[in-house]
Amino acid sequence: MEEHLAHGALWTIKEGFTYPNEYIYWTIHIVVYPYITGLVAGAFVLSSMYHVFGKEELKPVAKFSLVFSFALLLMATSPLGLHLTQVFNSVHMIMTPHFYSAIAAFTIVYLTYMAIVLAEIWFVFRPFIVQQAKEKAGLLGLLYKAMTLGSFDVSEKALHTDERIIKILAAVGIPAACFLHGYVGFIFGSVKTVPLWKTPLMPFIFLMSAIISGVAGCIVTYIVGMSLKRNFICGASIRSMCKVLVWFLVAAIVLESIDIIFHAYTAEEFWSIMSELLFQRFAFKMLVVQWLFGMILPLVLLLLPRLTMLRAFISAALVLIGVFQMRWDVVIGGQSMSKSLAGFLTYDMPIIPRSIEALKEGPFPITVLLLMPLFLLFIFNKVLPVFTEVFNEEDCGFTEGLLSSKENAKH
Amino acid sequence: MSHAWRPLFVVLAVMISIIVFRVIFVPSDFVAKNGDYKFQWHRLSSEEVWKNFPVKHKGRDFCQQCHSELVNKIKDSGHQHVQCENCHAMFEPGKKSHPIDLKDDFGYLLEIGIERSRELCKRCHAELPYRPQTYVITKGTTAETVKFKMIDPTKHNPGIECVMCHDVHSAGFKTAGK
Amino acid sequence: MNLSRRELLKMGLLAVCGTVIPLGALEILKPEAAASLIRPFSEKKRWAFVVDTTKCVGCGMCAKACKLENEIPFDTEVQRTWVERYVQLKDGEVIIDSPHGARYGFTKNDPQGKEINEDDVAKGLFVPKLCNQCEKPSCVQVCPVGATYKTDDGVVLVDRGWCIGCGYCITNCPYLARFFHPITNTADKCTFCYHRIKKGMNTACMDACSFGARKIGLLNDPASEVFKIISTHRVMVLKPEYGNEPQVFYIGLDDIVR
Repeated sequence: MEEHLAHGALWTIKEGFTYPNEYIYWTIHIVVYPYITGLVAGAFVLSSMYHVFGKEELKPVAKFSLVFSFALLLMATSPLGLHLTQVFNSVHMIMTPHFYSAIAAFTIVYLTYMAIVLAEIWFVFRPFIVQQAKEKAGLLGLLYKAMTLGSFDVSEKALHTDERIIKILAAVGIPAACFLHGYVGFIFGSVKTVPLWKTPLMPFIFLMSAIISGVAGCIVTYIVGMSLKRNFICGASIRSMCKVLVWFLVAAIVLESIDIIFHAYTAEEFWSIMSELLFQRFAFKMLVVQWLFGMILPLVLLLLPRLTMLRAFISAALVLIGVFQMRWDVVIGGQSMSKSLAGFLTYDMPIIPRSIEALKEGPFPITVLLLMPLFLLFIFNKVLPVFTEVFNEEDCGFTEGLLSSKENAKH
Repeated sequence: MSHAWRPLFVVLAVMISIIVFRVIFVPSDFVAKNGDYKFQWHRLSSEEVWKNFPVKHKGRDFCQQCHSELVNKIKDSGHQHVQCENCHAMFEPGKKSHPIDLKDDFGYLLEIGIERSRELCKRCHAELPYRPQTYVITKGTTAETVKFKMIDPTKHNPGIECVMCHDVHSAGFKTAGK
Repeated sequence: MNLSRRELLKMGLLAVCGTVIPLGALEILKPEAAASLIRPFSEKKRWAFVVDTTKCVGCGMCAKACKLENEIPFDTEVQRTWVERYVQLKDGEVIIDSPHGARYGFTKNDPQGKEINEDDVAKGLFVPKLCNQCEKPSCVQVCPVGATYKTDDGVVLVDRGWCIGCGYCITNCPYLARFFHPITNTADKCTFCYHRIKKGMNTACMDACSFGARKIGLLNDPASEVFKIISTHRVMVLKPEYGNEPQVFYIGLDDIVR
C-alpha cells in the first residue's frame, strides 16, 4: 500500500497503455453537477411557460416549479464543493476570475440567475409574505418581516406592477436558465483533449437534456407530492407538461444522434476507441439505459393515445433516470478513453468508505445531495404556499374545456 | 419610490460587499503581467517561491569536496557521464548509509547510500533489442563512439552482485587485491 | 452602362481589396496583437527542451531524479517526467507501456508485463516525456482563478497557494503532464526545474541522463545548444494539432508515438 495514493488511483482501473498521470479526475460529483443544474433550468422554463406564455393549464405547477428550481439551484454548487481538492480556496473564483477560462464566469452566471429566481419568487409570494408579516408574531413573524424587505404595499396598483415584473423576470429568466445550462455544456464541449466532449453541439445537447429532465422532475415531484397530500391532480396540467416533454425529447434525440453519426462518419483517429466505448464498454449504459429506456421508450409511451397518469409518471421517471445516465456516460465515458487512444480507464466508485476520500467520492454524499432539494422543497413549503394553490376538479375541468375547445378550433 | 426596486437594492448591496471584500482580499501583486491576461494572470510572488525551491541534486562538484579520488577516477572512465547521484541517491529512506549527516552539516537534502543490487545496473546494461547499440565518450579532447555494453541478465552470472567483478567507478573489472 | 471585361475585373478586385484591407486593419484590435506591438514575442528568450529519442536507453534515471528533486512522493503513481516504451512487433502489433513512469527503469523485454521474444521485435524506442511548456498553454488558459501562469521566459508554473483543485487544467493538457500533488492536493507539473535553471544549472533530469538524450536551453540565444539543434536539425513536437505550440522538441520520433 502506498503511503500517498495519487488522486484518482482509488477509483481508476487502467487498461492497455494510459499515461502515468492519467486518471478519472472528474468523478461522480461532476456527473451530479450538470444533472442538478439541468433540473434547475428545466423546472424554471416550465414555470415561465405559465408566466410568459400564459399557458393557464400550467398554473398549478407554476409556483411549485419555480420554488423547486430555487431549491435545486441552492444545491447546484455543492457537488463542486465536494469535487474541489482545495475547497477553501473556492472563493478565488470570484476574487480573481480569469475569463479566458470557461468556468471562471460560473459564479457570475450562477449568482445572476439566482438573483432572477429569488426576485421572481419574492414578487410571486409577496402578497402572502406581507399578510403573514402582519399576522404572525415571534420568530416566524420576524422572518416574514425580513422577507418583505420593508415593503407592505399590497394595493391593487402595486400588485399590478408585481404581475408585470414577474412576467419580465420570467421572460429574462428563460435565456438566463438556458445560458446557465448551455454554459455548463460549453465547459465540457470546449475541453479539446476529450474527443467525446469536444463538439459545438454540446451546449445544445446539454440544454435539451436539461429541459427534459427538469420537466420530468416536475411531473414526478408534482404527482408524488399531490398523491402524498391526497390532493386532486389536474390531468390537463400533466398532459400539458407531457407535451413539452415530448417536443424536447425529440430535440434531444435528434441532437444526440447527430453527434454520434457525425463522429462515425468523419471517423477521425479517435473513432476506433470511441466506437469501442459506445458499442462495447458503455453499450448497456449508453444504448440501453440512456437511449432505449431514457429517451425512446418514454417517447413512445407519451405518444401512445389516451395518456394515463401512471403512464406519464413512468415516462417521466424513465426520463429522469435516462438523463442521469446520459450525464454519467458523458462525464465518465469521455474520460474513460485514454488520451493515448491505446487504453481505457474504468471508473470504479468506492462503495465502502475505507478512508475519508473514499467516503467523499462514494455514493453516500451524492444520495444526500440529490435528496436535499426535495427536503428544501419541504421546508419552503412550510414557509411559503408552494403547493397550496392547486386546481380543484372544477378549475381543472374548466381548463380542459379550454384546451379541447382550442383543439376543436384547430380541426 | 416603488417597492419594486427593493430586490435590486439587495442585489446592489451584495455586489458592493463582494467588491469591497475583493479589494481587501486579493494581494496587490496579483496582476496580468505585461498586460497578458490570458497567460500571465497571477500572483507575482509565486515566481519567487519557485525560484527559491531548494536544489537537491548538487552534482559531482559537491561530492568532490570529500571524494575527489573517486570523482576523478570516474571522469576518466566509461562511466564519465554518470552522475554520482544516479546510483547513490536513495529513494528508499531506509537505505541511507552515509556516515556524515549531510543534511545538518552541508544542507544536502538527498538520502545517500550504496546500492549494490543487479536491478540498478540492469537499468542501463540489460540487453533490450531496441536499446541504442553505441555510446559516445570523450577521451582527452576527442569524442569516441564505443559499443554500449549490454548483457542478458538471465544468462550473465545470475544471482551474483555485479560489483563482485566489476569496478563501477572505473567501469572496468576489479583488479586483484582490491 | 457598358463595361469591358477588364474594367469589371478591375472594379471587382478593388471592391474585394477595399473590404479585405479594413478587415485586416481590425486585426490590430485583437488583444494579442495589441500586446505584441508593445512587447515583440519573436526575439524573446524562452526556455525550450530537446529530447533525442535515438539516445535514450530507458534507464529512467531522469524520472527518479525528478521525483527526488521536486519532492513528489516517490511511491505515488504520478510523474513530472516519465519515459514511455514503444515496441512494434513483426506482425505489426504495437505495444506501449511506462511501468511506474519508468522511475525504476526498463530492465526486461516485457512491454505491458508480457515477455517477448527478441526475434519478434521489429523496432522499438524509448520516448521521454515532460511538460511541453507550451507557448500557448491550454492549461493556463482554462485556469479559472489565475493559479497557473506562464513566466516571461516561457515556463508554466502553478501557484500552490491559489489553486482551487478543480482539475480543469489537468483535463485540458493534451500531454497529461499535470496531476494532483498527493501532499499539497493542488495541480502540479514539471517546472523545467525553474529553481535550477534560474541559477544557471541544468534540470535534474538532464543532469541525471548519462546519454545526453535531454537538453535544456534558451531559444533565440545563439550560444544555446538547444537553439542550435532546433534551428539546424529536423525536429518534431508531440500533438501539434492541439495548437498549444509545445516547446519540447524531439529527434527521432516515430508514427507509433502517441
